[in-house]
Amino acid sequence: MTIKAENLTWNIGQKTIVDGVSLKAEPGKMLGLLGPNGSGKSSLLRLLAGLRKAHSGTVSLDGKDLRSIKRNAIARRVALVEQHANTESNVKVRDVVKLGRIPHHPPLGGWTRADDEVVDGALARVGMSDRHEQYWQSLSGGERQRVHIARALAQAPTEMLLDEPTNHLDIQHQIELLRLISDISLTSIIAIHDLNHAAMFCDHLVVLEKGRVVAHGTPDEVLTQQLLRDVFHVEATVSPSPHHGKPHIHYMR
Amino acid sequence: MTTLQRYFGEQAGLGLFLLISTVLLLLAVAAGTGIGEMPIPLDTIFFAVTNKFGWTAIELDPIHQSVIWDYRLSRALVAACCGAGLALCGAILQSLLRNALAEPYVLGVSAGASTGAVSIMILGVGSGAVTLSAGAFAGALCSFIFVALLSDGARAGAGKTILAGVAASQLFNALTSYIVSTSGNAQQARDVMFWLLGSFGGVRWPEFQLALVVVVIGFLVCMYFAKALDAFAFGDDAAASLGIPVDAVRVILFAVTALLTAAIVSMVGSIGFVGLVVPHAARFIVGPSHMRLLPTCVVTGAIFLVLADIVSRIILPQQVLPIGVVTALVGVPFFSVILYRSQRAK
Amino acid sequence: MFSVKSVSALCGLMLPLALSLTPAQAAATVYPLQLTNCGVELTFEKAPERAVTLGQNSAEILLLLGLEDSMAGTAFWPSEILPELAEANEKVKRLSQEIPTLESILAERPDFVAAQLAHLLGPESKVAKREDFANLGINSYVSPTLCTANHDTGDVHGARAELWNMDQLYQEIDELSQIFDVQDRGQALIADFKAREAALRARVSDETADLSYAFWFSSPSPEADAYLGGKNGSSGFIADLLGGHNVIQTEVEWPTVSWEGIMAANPDVIVVGQVALTRGWELDNAENKIAFLKADPAISQLEAVKQNRLVVMDAQAMNPTIRTIYGAEQVAAQLEELGLFK
Repeated sequence: MTIKAENLTWNIGQKTIVDGVSLKAEPGKMLGLLGPNGSGKSSLLRLLAGLRKAHSGTVSLDGKDLRSIKRNAIARRVALVEQHANTESNVKVRDVVKLGRIPHHPPLGGWTRADDEVVDGALARVGMSDRHEQYWQSLSGGERQRVHIARALAQAPTEMLLDEPTNHLDIQHQIELLRLISDISLTSIIAIHDLNHAAMFCDHLVVLEKGRVVAHGTPDEVLTQQLLRDVFHVEATVSPSPHHGKPHIHYMR
Repeated sequence: MTTLQRYFGEQAGLGLFLLISTVLLLLAVAAGTGIGEMPIPLDTIFFAVTNKFGWTAIELDPIHQSVIWDYRLSRALVAACCGAGLALCGAILQSLLRNALAEPYVLGVSAGASTGAVSIMILGVGSGAVTLSAGAFAGALCSFIFVALLSDGARAGAGKTILAGVAASQLFNALTSYIVSTSGNAQQARDVMFWLLGSFGGVRWPEFQLALVVVVIGFLVCMYFAKALDAFAFGDDAAASLGIPVDAVRVILFAVTALLTAAIVSMVGSIGFVGLVVPHAARFIVGPSHMRLLPTCVVTGAIFLVLADIVSRIILPQQVLPIGVVTALVGVPFFSVILYRSQRAK
Repeated sequence: MFSVKSVSALCGLMLPLALSLTPAQAAATVYPLQLTNCGVELTFEKAPERAVTLGQNSAEILLLLGLEDSMAGTAFWPSEILPELAEANEKVKRLSQEIPTLESILAERPDFVAAQLAHLLGPESKVAKREDFANLGINSYVSPTLCTANHDTGDVHGARAELWNMDQLYQEIDELSQIFDVQDRGQALIADFKAREAALRARVSDETADLSYAFWFSSPSPEADAYLGGKNGSSGFIADLLGGHNVIQTEVEWPTVSWEGIMAANPDVIVVGQVALTRGWELDNAENKIAFLKADPAISQLEAVKQNRLVVMDAQAMNPTIRTIYGAEQVAAQLEELGLFK
């Protein structure tokens, strides 16, 4: 029940965006993708979701090459939460979550009581049950992200890919969201900027720089002063936190 | 809550709404059959229709019977089909291009049709073997192919596709002007203008048969993709991640809307505002979900155009106002009301 | 022995007699009358009594044939009616000056419909198709000029490869006069037109210069390109009648020509059209046209303008109708005043 990438390479024109990346997601665990801007995190996630075709290398799901699986079948297993998915349309919260059931039905019809229950459950998980009739345009950034996660949950996936989902959220909602995702027993791969959050919540980390994997392993193993200096160009010290035991980065002023 | 759902609750609301709309449509068609320049008594109108169905055999004035059946009824039904088709195309394009101002002619179909029409009308292409409608249809197809090539099979994304459509419209409109000014006379220039504004004057039963077939097929295809269209709301990647074959769906839907629009334009000319305004009105009434939106567009568009045609026939004595003028005059204030109320709802 | 003098004297006596006898000898129509009109077979049981005409030319022909009492309605009048027909025209209901509606036509309960232009009656018309009337047992007649559409002589609005002539008009007058059983009047009318045509040609002597004419129909605005009558259309016909030629040499019937092009062509005579539309362009009016020609700094330097060889003509004459002859006569009269007709 894993997503595995082997030697993935992807170019746009002359520029190589993802360069020989290999990684493996552990079932039920949260894998954090780290790296400065332009390191290829978003593109890598899209390759893993099967939305782009790699120029070389393979992505496999449970050992099967993603290219051999039908798109609909992928959608029943793998859910993607984007950074900026927005719409001008005046949809309601419930309608957005219902979109997650699309891969499970034929084009016309197929909706059952069971689907309603899945949708209700997803809304409850993200704490938006009482707001399911609210319009998208009236939601805040954090609420919209939660609705997207509910939609992803409604897909009943086994793997979830998230592309910087906490970017434009206030701190309360950042923590809440990360807590939510780590509580879910799905395999998740999350691209994230905040290194301390990554340390707190992720089980494994993969660090990308210019499209290449430069470090991978547990947060303890990966987040070193040297790495922070070389890849992220910041001076900091790392020590285990006395409060939760995970590594904590102290940035120097 | 949309207006209707506030009153009726979801599923029941939609079913009831569609039932009422269908009844209204039948009434509109009946009005289109009964109202006109020539004063015809109500019972004649009724019996003219029942006679033709073979239910009665009352003797009627043949001129009255012909006006009712061959002229007014066929015309109202064609207006209904065209309104339905244009509204449907408008809704699809607004969703595919994620642009509230998209409408059926955004891909250059109407401009291409005008070039095809003037090629027949003025240049005499086809030497009389090709009808004006066939020429217009061919021109519309050329324009669509041009757009498809420019926008890489509509894969280029919404913005580029719209630009390609603008380029096509400019090109074919320029071609039309060129043909008119180098080969046409003052009378023909006026004729072309009339044709461009759209008219139901030349339609009879054969046009209805064609329009009905085209609109029904188009509607069924679009309904098949209703959920896919919902998924498009958040962009291509979101739709693809939900299992939608994005490129294939886009190409098919663009092709279907182009063909449907081309068929309508080649039959009755270029009628504006229906494809732009009706989807917004429909969204205001039943919400953006396409399984509800598309049938609503079809029925509402049909009613709108039938009523607009009635107005165009009776507003000026002894003359028919071009239908495009009526739809614009009605469409603009209507659109303003919708805009105002949707702002207030927020 | 008959001398040449007496024979010719005898002929001189016989000729007027023969001519006066000719009209009376035109046949009466035998009904039912079979006629093929642009590929459609028509059968007339009797002369129509409620005719509706679509198009000014068709109406004027019927009025010239004195058939106002058999007419139920007319439609589409782009210009003023011929003055001599105004009184008769008063008796006939005018359905519309513009394009009429099918219902208004049928409301008059016609038994015959005659049309001049394709967009008023025909497969591409937004008003009516011939079948609409045929299904109600109403005969429809379209001008023979429409039948030749898309043959190599070009369609009625497009390009013409050969110079237009009055033959198809004569055919139309002849057929209509047969339909209404007024063949004597029809033949007289045709003979009259032919005589007038011949008279104009006769005035052209060897000394009359082969003048070049520019027929200016109208322009949307002074700066815009002008609509001129083309080489082979009725304008060309008029020029030819008067022993000259149309300065425009393209075969398109209504080319738009820039004033630069007109000046380069340097016409000897400019025929200025009088368009009688109420909602037209400012330059529809002939006086405005002349004022423009004389005021423009470049155009006023043309020989034709300096010498005031500007002739006014009813613009309808530039369309292939009976008004063409009237227009030619208008031009001839003014040319004579200018001393250009020897």
